[in-house]
Amino acid sequence: MAQKAEVTGREEQIVVFKLAEQTYGVDIGAVAEIIRMESITRVPRAPEFVEGVINLRGRIIPVIDLRKRFGLPEGEQTRQSRIIIVEIGGMTIGMIVDAVLEVLRIPAETIEPPPAVVDGVDVAYLRGIALWEERMIILLNLQKILYENEREALEEAEAAFEATA
Amino acid sequence: MFSDAEISVFLDELEEKIQILNDNFLLLEKEADDPQVLQEIFRAAHTVKGSSAIMGYDRMSRLTHEMENLFDNLRQGRLRVSTEMIDVLFEALDTLKSLRDEITEQAAPVDIEPVVAKLRRFLPGEGAENMAGGIPAAATSSSSGSAFSLTEAEEEVIRAAYVRGMQAYWIKVVVDAECQMKSVRAYLVFQTLQEQGEIIKAVPPAEDLQEGKFDTTFEVVLLTQEDAGRIRHLLLTISEIADVSVETINLPEDEAVSVTASGVAGSSQAVTPAGKQGASGATREREEGVKQAKTVRVDVQKLDNLMNLVGELVIDRTRLDRFAAIFRSRYGSDDLVDVLNEISNHLGQLTNDLQEQIMKARMLPIAQVFNRFPRMVRDLAHKLGKEINFIVEGKDTELDRNVIEVIGDPLIHLLRNAVDHGIESPEERVRVGKPRTGTVLLKAFHQENHIVILVKDDGRGMDVERIRKKAVERGLVDAEMAGRLTEREILNFVFLPGFSTAQEVTDLSGRGVGLDVVRKNIEQINGHIEMNSVLGQGTEFEIKLPLTLAIIRALMVSVSGEVYAFPLTNVMETIRISPQEVKRIQNTEVIIVRGKVLPLICLAEYFGGQRIGDSRLYVVIIGVGNRRVGVVVEELLGEQEIVIKSLGEYLGRIPGLSGATILGDGRVALIVDARALTQEVTRGVAEEALYAAS
Repeated sequence: MAQKAEVTGREEQIVVFKLAEQTYGVDIGAVAEIIRMESITRVPRAPEFVEGVINLRGRIIPVIDLRKRFGLPEGEQTRQSRIIIVEIGGMTIGMIVDAVLEVLRIPAETIEPPPAVVDGVDVAYLRGIALWEERMIILLNLQKILYENEREALEEAEAAFEATA
Repeated sequence: MFSDAEISVFLDELEEKIQILNDNFLLLEKEADDPQVLQEIFRAAHTVKGSSAIMGYDRMSRLTHEMENLFDNLRQGRLRVSTEMIDVLFEALDTLKSLRDEITEQAAPVDIEPVVAKLRRFLPGEGAENMAGGIPAAATSSSSGSAFSLTEAEEEVIRAAYVRGMQAYWIKVVVDAECQMKSVRAYLVFQTLQEQGEIIKAVPPAEDLQEGKFDTTFEVVLLTQEDAGRIRHLLLTISEIADVSVETINLPEDEAVSVTASGVAGSSQAVTPAGKQGASGATREREEGVKQAKTVRVDVQKLDNLMNLVGELVIDRTRLDRFAAIFRSRYGSDDLVDVLNEISNHLGQLTNDLQEQIMKARMLPIAQVFNRFPRMVRDLAHKLGKEINFIVEGKDTELDRNVIEVIGDPLIHLLRNAVDHGIESPEERVRVGKPRTGTVLLKAFHQENHIVILVKDDGRGMDVERIRKKAVERGLVDAEMAGRLTEREILNFVFLPGFSTAQEVTDLSGRGVGLDVVRKNIEQINGHIEMNSVLGQGTEFEIKLPLTLAIIRALMVSVSGEVYAFPLTNVMETIRISPQEVKRIQNTEVIIVRGKVLPLICLAEYFGGQRIGDSRLYVVIIGVGNRRVGVVVEELLGEQEIVIKSLGEYLGRIPGLSGATILGDGRVALIVDARALTQEVTRGVAEEALYAAS
């Protein structure tokens, strides 16, 4: 990530979205497309935060509810709700967000490491906080969010973090 | 430099020749003196030598030259085939494969000298040099209508020209009888032709022509990319040329040695009991060669993408249909609505055809996998000091490409087991009154909607009683239960992880080692494996595979507002029952269908939803092997063909589901994993109770 920022003149392009009254951002490089909510087929016995699967032009794409993923209070789906399709490590996954706000170009130096706790969102899922033009954008670490099977490793890291904090 | 396309053509040819060499080496070992086999090998080596030299792969050319040399000596009767020689030949073949890999994968350079030295060691005293270039000129008359012939070397050059997209013409020039300066005319002809391509032969020879040492006619062979008509036209513009005929030289795709090629050459069917296939084998080989030239290699991913696009079309077609229905209800039947209907129907037809064609494009003959095995079995038998007649049947059977990719490893395992543990040593076989040579059969064939692959040996077989004892020791079943299980059920214990090791199951070792992995691999592609074995008589594995991974027929049902698909292969029947028919045995619900007790499971409940409690229940009876389970669903929606798609890496394996498919309206339906469901349910059931009840 840091290297990339250098190449682009220390700027980063971020897709900014809203989730439970907070402003979040993901690196635009990971975003394949943004689609409206559509009929999602529930997948029984999948992890709870997995909303189900959708048909994206013939591909079956799992969709996760980011609120549930972060343990945030449940919200209602509105006309603004969107599914952000991201591609990470060869996997394609949809994330339900409350609304997509804009695409921002922010100087890399405005990004700071995440504080210990951000509105209940597990710090392990965060890449940092961007303070830019009076706004605070929480940048997500998609790798961590999407690799559920690395959860144990995450918890260990968390414990280690807490021990040092 | 050669283009990628040219290299790819070369590699295709190389692949084919390697296979011919491999198959015939195996035959050679059995029937050392069969001249047809030797001829076949000689020609394959010779072709590779020629084409690799042209392509500039010097080491490959040198290696095949040495091989050819050896075969020439064998052919002339100056040498005799020995097991040791076969070993070295296989080593040379492996080196040849490494050289090929060098081209395709930029692998590290291979040192051919050690094996070349070994090959040379077999040569008779007079040494290699005599034979180096001495390819017997098996003259042929493949250019129709001409009295002249091409040498093998010339044919080689022509074949190489084919590879480069050139044609070879046999051009006959008649000079005007009154012509004063024949040599000048001949010179002009040569000059004109050389502007268009390459002259590789002239009759009489060029020197004679230049000196006018010919009557009125001479002939040349030209390699060019121009067409025959233009060449002829160009020559006729030269004055004092009376007539020109241009004939295309069509060498057969393979070798042009016409006499022997049409004879017996059992190369396609590697090792057969008779060892010979008759002329049909040779013919097929030829056809395959031709077919290969017309083949395009396509990434499977691309086919998958095509399939997805067709899926999209299907969805649009459904939408169009609905649109037409709305129009009809609104405006009644009018011309426009009729046209819309017609378009929709036609689109439906097209998408179906398209789907079928793409499916077919994914199919490959299982020969792709089977071809590796004769060599493997041979080497293994050799190493273990066993005598094995390895029979391969049904190589033409076609399978989905993905299935072919997965099936190789399990088959290797089963064949190894058969050779290693199944077949006894020759001495032991004689002692128990069997023929010295054991037989291992590998066979593929169609059966309804499946492909069946058999791996069968006539070896020592499995001891059911020992397995039964072991199953009890391991606590898999209690003694009483074990006594009731059929032989087949007992045998199936060897598929359990880590069940059978070494001495405990057979007298030797490891018959069962890894069979759990084999089964897992096969089940991954919706296949199924069963085993039959008779102590002292042999063992047979039967693998049943779906024809294609991509499309299956399924029974669609609805549960809690979602649509689920049951693969039809696992659906035994569907029935309706009333809630009163549901009985309870211990903690399990069961129903009795025609005197048989079946555990019952409510799919909605199994998937974490509300239990279905209607006055009438729909039950889908699914079966895997000999286990049956009744599954309660809300509604039966009917059968349809579905395209299987994976749920993807992110979700991983979800118990009870084997994938998903896209419905006509674009929604996703999940596919029920009948196998997992059956296993899970029957495992949960106190089996004794079931047995007691039935």
